[in-house]
Amino acid sequence: MERPWLAQYPAGVPAEIDIGKFASLKDLLAVTCARFADLPAYNSMGTVMTFRQLDTASRNFAAWLQSEAQLQRGDRVALMLPNLLQYPVALFGVLRAGMVVVNVNPFYTTRELEHQLNDAGAVAVVVLENFAHTLAQVAKSTRLRTVITTQVGDLLPPFKRLLTNAVVKHVRKMVPPWQLARAVGFNRVLAAGRTQALDDVALTHNDLAFLQYTGGTTGVAKGAMLTHGNMVANVLQVAAWMSPNLKDGEETVVIPLPLYHVFALTGCLSFFSKGAQTVLILNPRDTPAFLKALRQTRFTAIIGVNTLFRALLDAPAFADVDLRPLKLAVAGGMAVQQVVAHRWRQRAGVPLVEGYGLTETAPVAIANPVTIQEWSGQIGVPLPSTEAAILDDDGGVLAFDQVGEICLRGPQVMKGYWNRPDETTKVFTADGWLRTGDMGVMDARGSIRITDRKKDMIVVSGFKVFPNEIEDVLTTHPGVQEAAAIGVRDERSGEAVKVVVVRKDPALTEGDLIAHCRQNLTGYKMPRIFEFRVEPLPKTTIGKILRRALRDGGSAGPAAAAPAHAPAPTD
Amino acid sequence: MTSRSYRPRRLSLRDGREVTLRAVLETDAQEIVQSFERLSNDSRYLRFMQHKKQLDPAALERGVHPRPGREFVFVATTPTADGIDIVGGARYVRADDRNAETCEFAITVAEDWRDSGLATKLLASLIRRARRDGYRSMEGLVIADNAPMLALARDLRFSVHRVPEDATVVRVERTL
Repeated sequence: MERPWLAQYPAGVPAEIDIGKFASLKDLLAVTCARFADLPAYNSMGTVMTFRQLDTASRNFAAWLQSEAQLQRGDRVALMLPNLLQYPVALFGVLRAGMVVVNVNPFYTTRELEHQLNDAGAVAVVVLENFAHTLAQVAKSTRLRTVITTQVGDLLPPFKRLLTNAVVKHVRKMVPPWQLARAVGFNRVLAAGRTQALDDVALTHNDLAFLQYTGGTTGVAKGAMLTHGNMVANVLQVAAWMSPNLKDGEETVVIPLPLYHVFALTGCLSFFSKGAQTVLILNPRDTPAFLKALRQTRFTAIIGVNTLFRALLDAPAFADVDLRPLKLAVAGGMAVQQVVAHRWRQRAGVPLVEGYGLTETAPVAIANPVTIQEWSGQIGVPLPSTEAAILDDDGGVLAFDQVGEICLRGPQVMKGYWNRPDETTKVFTADGWLRTGDMGVMDARGSIRITDRKKDMIVVSGFKVFPNEIEDVLTTHPGVQEAAAIGVRDERSGEAVKVVVVRKDPALTEGDLIAHCRQNLTGYKMPRIFEFRVEPLPKTTIGKILRRALRDGGSAGPAAAAPAHAPAPTD
Repeated sequence: MTSRSYRPRRLSLRDGREVTLRAVLETDAQEIVQSFERLSNDSRYLRFMQHKKQLDPAALERGVHPRPGREFVFVATTPTADGIDIVGGARYVRADDRNAETCEFAITVAEDWRDSGLATKLLASLIRRARRDGYRSMEGLVIADNAPMLALARDLRFSVHRVPEDATVVRVERTL
């Protein structure tokens, strides 16, 4: 197949990557830790963990999982953690023990958590105590045998650890009471693992590394099976892509997006593979703390979503952050708004480099060259070893500038959906293309632009929300006759969830529904606008709902202005 | 109903199973509710394009009382130990009160009757019926990534059209 985009590759970026370089993420970890041993690998709340320390800690964690918890190769281990030093330790610990990581959004409600743990068949979980109360409510209805709990400050130096853990628990009261039988503390695991044997598991490209969950248009969340091969490929692809702007062992990247999100996960691993120091931001919505971290760090790269760059630009104290060392600012997860791109370029001196991908592609498949001087308004060109095509409904390749579905092939494309062969069949064409659900065009130079979305989905600050799930939750409320969820434009989050509800109980209020949704939906899925209608929702004669008519129908009600339950990229 | 009534037919499917195809009866209401309850979330979403917990009673009432010549409902049934099972249905209704020539269709097939060719037979029968009832064209809305339904529509010579300002659904249409 012709690859017109290769002419746009900057000098030094290869057309193909050699995925044979590492057999697994475990190999990548070993090589990287040996190479950059005493450089800082991760930095959280001012505390540094070197590559060597990470190697040791993750080794001990892995040994404990094998020896003490008696977990087997291929067992699924859930990580229910925000951006703390414990995350990379647990992540690499699970992977080098030969097990599979299941990333869990720690803000999940019990309904969402129970589904994901059971769907994945997770037998172990690592959870931050702040979220242990949610886990405690569902643990008995899952297959979990091993629970490792950790406190925010567990990997900080002794005095700072005690202080941080005490403040989180007793001053800020961020740890609701919980009880979990046989839970083991994170530091006890690391201490015990020190003297335990670690069986050196031989992993190959075909072994599963992650079950990374993503919503579905017509059903519940499903796990994309990302193998070690998929992850090694995407780490190498992204690292090669960034190489014109970055030097090995010399960079510092700020990661404010949660690592349980695939974009931050692989982005972070790519920087890691280049020996960069990764600064983990625990909660970017805490703007003063975030800005303080930025002021105290000489950072050369940052990755984020439009919503986050916008929030930074809007914060007056951002003026005090030194952006002169910055070489690369990567934006993904959602469309970048022109005004944000423009303001960022003026303030930072480097453009926002937009990339594109899906959970199913580990995730990056298309990106702008990092050497661009201005934001392009396009998602870019396919990465090395990646093919993109615009296909018609029959799977035929369309000519340049014709609108069709963006489809992808490459070593980063997932194996399929966990336990869902039907869904897997549906998402691939006969020729092995992955259908993205996004409509777009490719120009003669191979640059791709998104024009529309085929999948019925709402993207809130980079998080995907599926109307079906929101409608499912709303219609379980006894006061609701029928409900439909749609996406509406939102300056801050890109899109916001609006719901149109027909009451069964005339006394039903917006407050009732907000309370009900809060119990069942994590923050980013929360409807921001509630509209009540008396007449049935618009449908065709035969009873199919007309979402377009719903979008045209009502403008934002008074609730539109209420920021109380506004979503943000951290939840 | 006499001239427009439909004599039940036995259909043999690709996988060797057999069903009876007949016009819907008033007494099918209970069975339709049960069939709906057995459908997966996915199937319900594909049919109604929204999350549907239960059938709307008024719609069900209309469904088992089609107005002759104007609407028609086929059901595909199979005898079971505990009675009659409805394993598929197809329906057309007049799309627009002002236009007597165009009808809208919908099809539903039970989960374990997928890939049996039942949907094709249902839609083909529905096309013949609508033509006999005087319609000149048939149309339907389909979720854009419902590839099996789109393939079926193409097989039966429907053309596929974009819906302005909504890429999540497409409109299929054919003359009768």
